Amino acid sequence: MKSMAHWAKGLALFAAATLVCGVAYTAAVTVVAQVAFPYQANGSFVEGSDGNRYSMLIGQSYADDDHMWGRVQNYNAETFVDEDGSVRLWAGPSNISPASEDFEASVAERVAAVRAAHPEHASDPVPSDLVTCSGSGLDPHISPAAAEYQVERLAAHTGKSEGEIRAIIDECTERPQFGILGDEAVNVLKVNLMLDGVL
Amino acid sequence: MIDEITEYAVYVAFLVACAIPLSAYINKVMAGEKHLLSCIVAPVERFACRIMGIDASEQMNWKTYLATALIFSIISFVALMAILMLQGVLPFNPEGLAGLSWDLAFNTTASFVTNTNWQSYSGESALSYFSQAIGLTVQNFVTPAVGMAVLFALFRGLVAQNSEGLGSFWTDVVRALLGVLLPLSLVLAVVDVWQGSPQNVDEYQTTQLVEPVGLTADGDIVDADDPEAVSVVDEMAVPMGPQASQVAIKQLGTNGGGYNGVNSASPLENPTPLTNLLQCVSLLLIPVALVFSFGRFVNDRRQGRAIFFSMFAVFLVALFTVGYFELAGTPQLAQNGAVYMGQEGQSGGNMEGKEVRFGVTDSALWATFTTAASNGSVNSMHDSYTPIGGMVPMILMQLGEIIFGGIGCGLYSMIGFVILTVFIAGLMVGRTPEYLGKKIGPKEMRMAVVLAICTPVVILVGAAALCLDPATQASLNNGGPHGFSEVLYVATSAGGNNGSAFAGMNCNTPFINTVLGLEMLANRFVPMAAALCLAGSLASRQKVAASAGTLSTSNGMFVFLLILIVVLVAALSMFPALALGPIAEQLQMVL
Repeated sequence: MKSMAHWAKGLALFAAATLVCGVAYTAAVTVVAQVAFPYQANGSFVEGSDGNRYSMLIGQSYADDDHMWGRVQNYNAETFVDEDGSVRLWAGPSNISPASEDFEASVAERVAAVRAAHPEHASDPVPSDLVTCSGSGLDPHISPAAAEYQVERLAAHTGKSEGEIRAIIDECTERPQFGILGDEAVNVLKVNLMLDGVL
Repeated sequence: MIDEITEYAVYVAFLVACAIPLSAYINKVMAGEKHLLSCIVAPVERFACRIMGIDASEQMNWKTYLATALIFSIISFVALMAILMLQGVLPFNPEGLAGLSWDLAFNTTASFVTNTNWQSYSGESALSYFSQAIGLTVQNFVTPAVGMAVLFALFRGLVAQNSEGLGSFWTDVVRALLGVLLPLSLVLAVVDVWQGSPQNVDEYQTTQLVEPVGLTADGDIVDADDPEAVSVVDEMAVPMGPQASQVAIKQLGTNGGGYNGVNSASPLENPTPLTNLLQCVSLLLIPVALVFSFGRFVNDRRQGRAIFFSMFAVFLVALFTVGYFELAGTPQLAQNGAVYMGQEGQSGGNMEGKEVRFGVTDSALWATFTTAASNGSVNSMHDSYTPIGGMVPMILMQLGEIIFGGIGCGLYSMIGFVILTVFIAGLMVGRTPEYLGKKIGPKEMRMAVVLAICTPVVILVGAAALCLDPATQASLNNGGPHGFSEVLYVATSAGGNNGSAFAGMNCNTPFINTVLGLEMLANRFVPMAAALCLAGSLASRQKVAASAGTLSTSNGMFVFLLILIVVLVAALSMFPALALGPIAEQLQMVL
């Protein structure tokens, strides 16, 4: 008899928790978010002058000479395939050990490729974030060192002066919040959209 | 190095500065006294208790308390497993995702009902909004509330005399939910959205590719103008949904199960350094506050401080070790100087598996916080840490998730170690073991030992089971000692109710899902039963006055002994396994 009462209270508490913590809480946050921060709450999308929508939080892979390069990206075409067979890309981390021979070989390849595209830096070491995968596989940023490394190449291929390129990079650099939190980070998507004249 | 230390100091100081006032607040909430939010929370609490038929003054003995906790967990288990398997026909599923297989549903349910949040799936491609917000988020709220309830039952047992009553499980859970977890989550969720986390119920969006790619007939990705390309893809998916609300409670409730597969490394889930600070501090906030709550509850704050300093010392050593090795990187990355590893204009160090906006510093901080608390969320990929940098988080879990640990369970397991230390120290100097005025008898000792060794036993049995199946090798992402580290890490993460991952390993097979599910259930409910049995036994004892023969449990000597016992138990049980994994890999790397 006593234990039936426990089960009844357990069910009641579970139902109440589902209503309050599942339904009401999620709904309350959603309403506040949509009213106060509609841009952020809907994916931080910016519409370019080409009519396309770009999420500023999602990093992409760039290999053209007139674009700034970002983190090494592992695109996959299997995660998001619609019923009609149309594909949207997705990306993820490498999860490889940085002490392994496989890793050593891929970094060596990437270093060679980066140096070949930047002959003016042939004797400078390559910034580490330019030859490594990010944690999310979606990292939209690159370090200021890695951005600076590419300035001469970008100037040569975009017809802009090095000063103009540096001004764009500066505009796309996010500083440490409150002066101390985090590292300086350059949003590569924003740089490339500005280089293309889309933004 | 100065920048790193400043940032460490900001995180740790912010954490402790928030935890101390919170500890007083939590005690008021759990005692039903007037507190900061009483005017809002108290009427809701009274209304909820009335319709559920809960009597706030009910006093349960330890068996009833345990029975009600188990009944509530069983109801949660059945409901969540049903939601996950039936999500294909449930609402709020704009992507049309199918229900989970039985083994994945079992594993996921065991994981979220035990506050582990191990994930064999990627949320953005496997779960509907209904499963995320109604299924998982609810467990993210109630499991820390259950942990807190059991911990307060143990507190009451330590203080009570000649009594059986440990309080009411139902009242404790309701108070923890309404008074502590909901208000904190609301604040954190709104800040996360402000900084950029999505919060909606729309279908997934697409973002235009600046450089479209080509797909070959085999589905391989090539350049768009490659002759083998048969189609061009110019879009990328952007997962939507109620992300910020779920992320807030997964941090605050020491849950850790990310909305997205890559967890808080995702720019959607953790968009800026500010969200990183708040999410990182949130994951240790309540566990640290509860240590101070303990001191206040037993009316001797020195007792809480002694436990705090023991945990904090181990925590700092771990933090600096991870930070040092990640900043140093590996020779495989440095390429004899061809790669710039320094800190001029970049974070430097081992950036594989780390985000630029966080750098090595904020990543090392998070890795230490998340494995010290049994949270298990990540903001960088632990699989891609240097051998020693990856071993330290593993050790923090193997210590038994007691360096602050999960909400409730971390501290009640630590109290097991405290009693073990009192006993061993008492033997050394020939004193009767007593703690907070209570004599420690054979029954208390048995329960303390269960609390102390449950985690290592579960981890080692689980890891051994995984290694016995030859098919496990096919799931690994790396070979050699790093492959063994992957197996040991998952067994540790599940057995420690942590839930973080060396994500390279594919764990979504029926065998691995089942082994890990059983590990998580064992390590949640065995220590919980031991803690409540201990509480019941202590509550029935009379207090004895402290005498000259009483060993102090709040001085530096005791802190030292406690750390020693914790490290000794973990080292004796785990060293052989660690030697085969990360230690072998480190030696291979430098030799």
